[in-house]
Amino acid sequence: MKFRKRAFLVALVLLGAAFAGQLVLRAFLSNRTLLSPDALLAISFGGEALAFLLIGFFVSFLARGFGAREMGLAALLLAIAAFIALRQLKPPSFSYDRFFASTEELVLWAALTGAGAWLLGMWGASAGVLLGAAGTPDLRFGYEAGIARTHLRLNRRTALTLIALGLVPPGLLFAAGVLASLRYRRGAETSALGVIVAAGAVVAALLLVARWVQARAALARLQPGQRRKRPATVVMTAISIAGVAVGVWALTVVLSVMSGFEADLKHKILGTNSHAYLLKFSNDFSEWKSVLPKVAAVPGVTGVSPFILNEVILSHGQTVTGAELKGIDPATAGTVSELPRQVIAGDLKWVASPQDIPTSVVEPRSEASKQLEGPEYQQYLEDTLKRRQQHPEEEKNKLDPQALKALPGVCIGKEMSHQIRAWVGDVISVLTPLGEMTPTGPVPRSRPFRVACILYSGMYEYDSKFVYIHLPEAQKFFRMGDNIMGLELKFNDVDAARAEGRRVVSALGGFPYRTKDWAELNRNLFSALKLEKLAMAIILTFIVLVACFNILSTLIMLVLEKTKEISILKSMGARDASVMKIFVLEGLTIGAIGTAMGLLLGFASCSFIERYGLQLDPDVYYISNLPVNADVGQFCAVALISVALSYLATLYPATKASRLSPVDGLRED
Amino acid sequence: MPPLVEARGLHKSYWLGEKEIHVLRGASFSLEPGEMVSLVGPSGVGKSTFLHVIGTLDPPTAGQVLFEGRDAYAMPEEELAAFRNRSIGFVFQFHYLLPEFTALQNTAMPGLINRYSREKAEEAARQVLEMVGLAHRLDHKPGELSGGEQQRVALARALVLKPRLLLADEPTGNLDEATGEGIHQLLVELNRRLGIAAIVVTHNPRLAERMPRRLRLSEGLVIEGSGEEGEVTSSGAISSPPGPGT
Repeated sequence: MKFRKRAFLVALVLLGAAFAGQLVLRAFLSNRTLLSPDALLAISFGGEALAFLLIGFFVSFLARGFGAREMGLAALLLAIAAFIALRQLKPPSFSYDRFFASTEELVLWAALTGAGAWLLGMWGASAGVLLGAAGTPDLRFGYEAGIARTHLRLNRRTALTLIALGLVPPGLLFAAGVLASLRYRRGAETSALGVIVAAGAVVAALLLVARWVQARAALARLQPGQRRKRPATVVMTAISIAGVAVGVWALTVVLSVMSGFEADLKHKILGTNSHAYLLKFSNDFSEWKSVLPKVAAVPGVTGVSPFILNEVILSHGQTVTGAELKGIDPATAGTVSELPRQVIAGDLKWVASPQDIPTSVVEPRSEASKQLEGPEYQQYLEDTLKRRQQHPEEEKNKLDPQALKALPGVCIGKEMSHQIRAWVGDVISVLTPLGEMTPTGPVPRSRPFRVACILYSGMYEYDSKFVYIHLPEAQKFFRMGDNIMGLELKFNDVDAARAEGRRVVSALGGFPYRTKDWAELNRNLFSALKLEKLAMAIILTFIVLVACFNILSTLIMLVLEKTKEISILKSMGARDASVMKIFVLEGLTIGAIGTAMGLLLGFASCSFIERYGLQLDPDVYYISNLPVNADVGQFCAVALISVALSYLATLYPATKASRLSPVDGLRED
Repeated sequence: MPPLVEARGLHKSYWLGEKEIHVLRGASFSLEPGEMVSLVGPSGVGKSTFLHVIGTLDPPTAGQVLFEGRDAYAMPEEELAAFRNRSIGFVFQFHYLLPEFTALQNTAMPGLINRYSREKAEEAARQVLEMVGLAHRLDHKPGELSGGEQQRVALARALVLKPRLLLADEPTGNLDEATGEGIHQLLVELNRRLGIAAIVVTHNPRLAERMPRRLRLSEGLVIEGSGEEGEVTSSGAISSPPGPGT
């Protein structure tokens, strides 16, 4: 094969354009849109990778083949150009101890760009070769598909068997989930359709078992010579399909569970916190009463509520604990968070009207009893409720009921209530280090509060840290006058919180206002989760990768078995690309069937986990059931990865088969 | 007008470990359109290799194969495959039918490779199968056909696109005498009816004798005529010394 200069030059120009395009796209998106840095990287590098694939495909037609050398040289020059360009541009470093990327980092980037361009280009070129890049393009797959089908023994019988095997196990899993949800009345609601599908799956499974028993019995009656022999390649094909299915299954289930954790965390964080804070680059936010209606008028904003947040020390009897004290407006707090719905005893409104807090025993709300299960909590309930009837603290402090009623109210989390043994109606002391100056030095300020309600959010951190008081009380306590710290905001679209926040700020005229959205406030938590998910995805993709090696070896076996047939086809005038098509189609079929089975299994498993509600130790995870969130986009991504990997696995055997000489299979006899 | 096929000084050698085996040593011959020749020679002399080289399946080490004056091995892969598809039909000692396909589908395969529609390819296949007397066996798979029938299907497959050259490598070698005779008669008849040039490699001296032109492969050379009567023994060994090439 001669080196084709035209293909090389076109490859060089296009690769350079793709790389430059990626840089320009990234700069454009980061300046003009509000996408997160992760989304920026995904879009720009994803676009670049796609461009490399297409360039490889296109160049293969000019190179009349893979064009490995043409693309290779172009990619090498691209790497050098990329290094020079990056040195001029001084991109930020990915490491934390320096600002600009070091030379080593630039070399790595340039090398990655070059290697990526070549590998992706070869990947694209393989598709080009498949479609006849070596001569005239030929997109037809007619007889190649027919031959591939016979190699895989994909007649109607095997197709039916495959469908049965692919549908029945997930169907049974689904049925088990439906049964569990009907029995324990837990997790997702089960519709009539679900019950019908489950019943159908059980019937199908029974029929399948009956058919199998019948077939075994018929087989047993046959003489040894009458049994049809199954070639090794058919067994290997089945194993390859199973391998891909297991890999895809594992990948989808694990990713769904991790998404479930993420969604659960997001739900809990957004139950206690608003979607964003509107803050000011100043300590003076006394004009908030005029700002509030302006913010509420911004389209997309569904709730606004003022707040003050400060750290304090809390004590009840002998127990002391640190806490985050939040001054809220109970009237509007419900529009920005789920606080009013998190109450398990007492009432959130009582923080504003402490005279309503009864002096008698307040029983936990009926819906809260589930959250207060367990011997430990029973003990705690007994303790607090019994002591409340005797009022030991109040007697000791000689507080009469009238004075008691005058104390401001405070809401505390369930874990904190447990920790300091305080129940609704108890008096606790709140202490702030921001105290008065006295002749003996600064003295912390302390005030008694009465517990107005107990909250349960489901996040240990929140339930053990946050206490809520009425906003005017907080202003008084911290000597802030009519000042607040900021406004809590809630938007229509949680995931657009960042963009919505910027819109609010611009509606207020920009500086000195600013917003911090929930993702920013909990960045470390979510980035840890995302990293974990990415690591899991990569590790589990290796399972699929290993399964694709099965496809590879199966296809090699098939090529060896069909050498004679390949020769015959070539003697009849089949092109090299056609022979390649046959084996690529076979590998893709194996991959696609395995992927479909794995996806079904994964979906059924997720449904089972959701309906059955696998128990977790709530003291460890602070979550009672294994969460699961089967996301369609995630399933599609897994399917795409799996099919793409099976395609890669076909390339070596298919190329080998296409290069077999016609006489290789004719000579032996 | 150039001959249909012309082979010029074909050399072909294989490496068997360290040893180079020369199968063809400058074999030359030419074939006119519609001509039918027999090719005889002892086992292992290279008849199949000669046929493969002529049939554009196996490039020669040296020499040229010209089809109507055009060098076959100078064509790119794709063009050569298309040429093979339309102009050359092969029949081998073993039928080499695809076992999962019916007689009709097997015969339609060259048409499908030529990207005919399924209907067109199967219509052509049906006609040729009728011609070889298998109109009643269209939907049988090779395993359900007798040896003679299988070879007839193979013949039909070779002829379905009306090639100009038929290369038959011991088409009767695996059949009993009566069946082989039938196939042979069919070959002769089809040659007469369709005017397809054919090279038939055979071990059977009686069949070879009936061909209008006889060739013999010996010492890597093609020799015109099978020699005097009786020189080709029933075992296929040749007793006469190799003569000069054409």
